[in-house]
Amino acid sequence: MHAVKRLVEELDPVLHERGRLAIVSVLAAVPTLTFTELRDTLEMTDGNLSVHLQKLEDKGYVAIDKQFVGKRPQTSCRLTQAGRTAFTHYLNHLEALVEQGRSKPGA
Amino acid sequence: MDTHQATRTLQVIRTLMERTCQYQFLTARAGLAAGLMAGVGALLFVYLDPNDPWQFGAVWGLVFIGSLAATLFSTILRVRERGEQVWTRPARAVVQALAPALFVAVILSVFFFARGWHLWLPGVWLLCYGQGALATAVYAPQPIRYLGLGALGMGAVALLLGPAWATAMMGFAFGLGHIALGLALLWSERRDTQLRLYRSVA
Repeated sequence: MHAVKRLVEELDPVLHERGRLAIVSVLAAVPTLTFTELRDTLEMTDGNLSVHLQKLEDKGYVAIDKQFVGKRPQTSCRLTQAGRTAFTHYLNHLEALVEQGRSKPGA
Repeated sequence: MDTHQATRTLQVIRTLMERTCQYQFLTARAGLAAGLMAGVGALLFVYLDPNDPWQFGAVWGLVFIGSLAATLFSTILRVRERGEQVWTRPARAVVQALAPALFVAVILSVFFFARGWHLWLPGVWLLCYGQGALATAVYAPQPIRYLGLGALGMGAVALLLGPAWATAMMGFAFGLGHIALGLALLWSERRDTQLRLYRSVA
């Protein structure tokens, strides 16, 4: 059980939140997404998405670019290399947890 | 977090990543409807003459239009259910991937009908269909890849068997093939619904 506990404690606290994990999962699948596409895909509110994106940007996991397409402002989001690395580590930790469970039934 | 939660979280992450880059609005309803129409089309030739290019063209043309209409209708219904848009980036990618195979199928259909070789067309249509399905496989649910491979194999078999098997191959490949696709999509949709429920309560 100690190994499992240690693995859980090592999970990245920024990614280990439902909304932020969903954002990073989606951004990991495509090069870039607009704010609107991200909001519609995850069925989040504008405010909720903005707050999570801000935290991910502060941590350096997500890059946010603002530009004009025609006369309309458009915000696009992409996963940075640091974000991709953190996401990969997070997935590795989850897989390690699953493996621990398989090797110790009832864990 | 326990191992069960870790497993479920990994499943949800995978689904989210698939949903982002895949076209999700191909429905089980459309697959089953297309399969039934192709089956009915094949059965009509119990009474009709497949050697008559007009009858052959009319039946399979109507089956194609009916299947296309069922796909569009069920897609729009699905999009409305989810409150999303029809013309999304994955939708554009799927249409662009399908266009070359559809273009080739139309050109070859005209060519074969003009020369009275229409009974060879099931093999040609299946090959084009398989090519189109595989071209969209990157953006589509997993069953489409198997459908594409199956259609390519059936197209080769149809050409080997020749015109005598034209109607039977159309009924078997497009009829049963689409019904199998519809059932696979139905299973996939149920799994997706379960994951959506999990997301909402996690």
